[in-house]
Amino acid sequence: MPALTFTNVSKTFGDNTVINAFSADIHDGEFLVLLGPSGCGKSTLLRMIAGLSDITSGDLLFNGDIANDWEPKKRGVAFVFQTYALYPHMTVRENIAFPLIMDAFRKWYHLPIVNIVARHRLMRRPDIAERTLRIAQQLELESLLDRRPASLSGGQRQRVALARALVRNPSLYLLDEPLSNLDAKLRTQMRSEISALHHKVGKTFVYVTHDQVEAMTMASRIIVMNKGIVQQVDTPDEIYDRPANTFVARFVGSPPMNLIAASVGDKGLKLSGKLAVEHGTALPSQREVTFGIRPEKLSLHAAGEGRLPARVTVVERLGAETVIGCRLLTGEDDQSGRLLETDLVFVRVSGNPKMQIGEPCSLDYRAEDVLWFDVDTGQRLS
Amino acid sequence: MSFNKLTLKFLRYLLIGVLVVLAGFPVYWMAATALSLNSELYGTGQVVWPQPQNFPELMLELGQVPIGLWLFNTLLIAAGGTVLSLTLGSLAGYALSRFRFHGKGVVGFLLFMTQVVPEALILVPLYAMFITFGLLNSLTGLVLANVGFSLPVACFVLKGAMDAVPYEIEESAIIDNCPRFSVLTMIILPLIMPSIAAAAVVAFFAGWNEFLFASTFLMDRGNWPASVGLASFVGQYETPMSAVMGAALVFSLPAIVFFLLIQRKIVAGLTAGAVKG
Repeated sequence: MPALTFTNVSKTFGDNTVINAFSADIHDGEFLVLLGPSGCGKSTLLRMIAGLSDITSGDLLFNGDIANDWEPKKRGVAFVFQTYALYPHMTVRENIAFPLIMDAFRKWYHLPIVNIVARHRLMRRPDIAERTLRIAQQLELESLLDRRPASLSGGQRQRVALARALVRNPSLYLLDEPLSNLDAKLRTQMRSEISALHHKVGKTFVYVTHDQVEAMTMASRIIVMNKGIVQQVDTPDEIYDRPANTFVARFVGSPPMNLIAASVGDKGLKLSGKLAVEHGTALPSQREVTFGIRPEKLSLHAAGEGRLPARVTVVERLGAETVIGCRLLTGEDDQSGRLLETDLVFVRVSGNPKMQIGEPCSLDYRAEDVLWFDVDTGQRLS
Repeated sequence: MSFNKLTLKFLRYLLIGVLVVLAGFPVYWMAATALSLNSELYGTGQVVWPQPQNFPELMLELGQVPIGLWLFNTLLIAAGGTVLSLTLGSLAGYALSRFRFHGKGVVGFLLFMTQVVPEALILVPLYAMFITFGLLNSLTGLVLANVGFSLPVACFVLKGAMDAVPYEIEESAIIDNCPRFSVLTMIILPLIMPSIAAAAVVAFFAGWNEFLFASTFLMDRGNWPASVGLASFVGQYETPMSAVMGAALVFSLPAIVFFLLIQRKIVAGLTAGAVKG
């Protein structure tokens, strides 16, 4: 049985629909990533799982039970916020132990002075102290236990937030863009740490991000969302190799998949409406389609050697590889200076081919690497 | 250090010195007057320096009035008003800051209106109400009347501070199984301590300086706060100025001590949120 099931879940704020009839299963123990651009509703979805946002319509099931109206406490989830949301007035030790102290909560702890005394007493309780220390050791926070969050670096705060989530041993971990406030180097390091953590604890992780690198490297499955609608639910490989539509094709991958308007006629394939290409294999039955190919599936050649004549317009040297942006020479308006996004075709090549901007070149591809998309719906045809 | 910098530093200290003298002189003059003899004050003129040898005389004069009881009454009114204002103010501030409900704007407007209406204007209606509720001539009534004015201020100060506490911290506590009321007492209130201190000062001094309601609602001399007691020194034919100043000094000291104790917190409270931290 899936750990979580969404059945036609929708969320509206007034007239604004943030999530539209979302349906998906989240399996026990998997690392599921909700991927999408800002404002696509992925964080709202996470908050609905946690019980921090109401569900407008549809059902959310926890292990088969409808949980729409469950209090956050009953759901037994841990949540790592984008801003970490550590308690600034408590030490790292108190922050980590807080969920355990709350588990031992009694009604009279509501009183302001009583709760301070109770908190300090509970902190010394052997089981709580030991568990706090164990988690701190696991995340290398031992030396920071008596410091307050304000004196910690971003990465350390991040680890404290993770420790606080881990300490209660919940069955479901919800992480809302937890790495977005870190610098690039630390982000890479924390990415590996979170993945390792998932393998270690073996619990269900639901991770929200707009960073496709995080999604591709960490997820066992990805849900790609746009404007509150699910675009594709699949493994990272499938999403990369066989995107369901043009949105996924362009959102996942850097540089994105090359999408070129194409027309299929009696004389074969024409790209950008003008460039006749000898494609080689069977073409789609529709006359107007979108031709899609990943940058690394295109090969770069000297002018005249490949089937697609082009001119270099962008060169991005990344060290081990180089991303070259080319403009297809369709024979008519390539000198007009008008450069549309779809006109630019990216090629990823290993090493440094020493290309110069403005240099003529040609591109080639294997027919089996091409994906075809419907012009109107954007859905993949093959 | 260059000459210009030294001059600037000297001028800065000179300015601070002048301000300290301006602020401190009334207190000094109060002490000097208290330690003067009435014969000097109304006859030969006041000696500029305090005369400690007149201290027993002052004690004798102050001993004729229940100044300790009056001070205790003042403390009850001020402390009672402060505790009640902060308790209700933090609850109301939390509700106004965090919850959406019908009439939220009206509540805010009505709270604001309490600051617009002068105390003297509601004196008579309040007097009539106190007769009905049996609160006349009682310190409880006086605390309630004061809270009516200090509570909205406390509420607005605390609401403003709570607005600045990120929602995520609160939601994080809820996820950690913290009950809603404890979110307020364990998480929010410790985070807005400077603002609580600022609100406490406002409420405390509103009660400490209370005079109008006290002089109207309290008839028994034993129930008077120090402010009314002080005013009672002023007679039709004579005013023992040294005793008035002595009593005023005694009356001021606890307030000064209270202010000194929490002044750091207040400054932090007044500037809280000014700079993104």
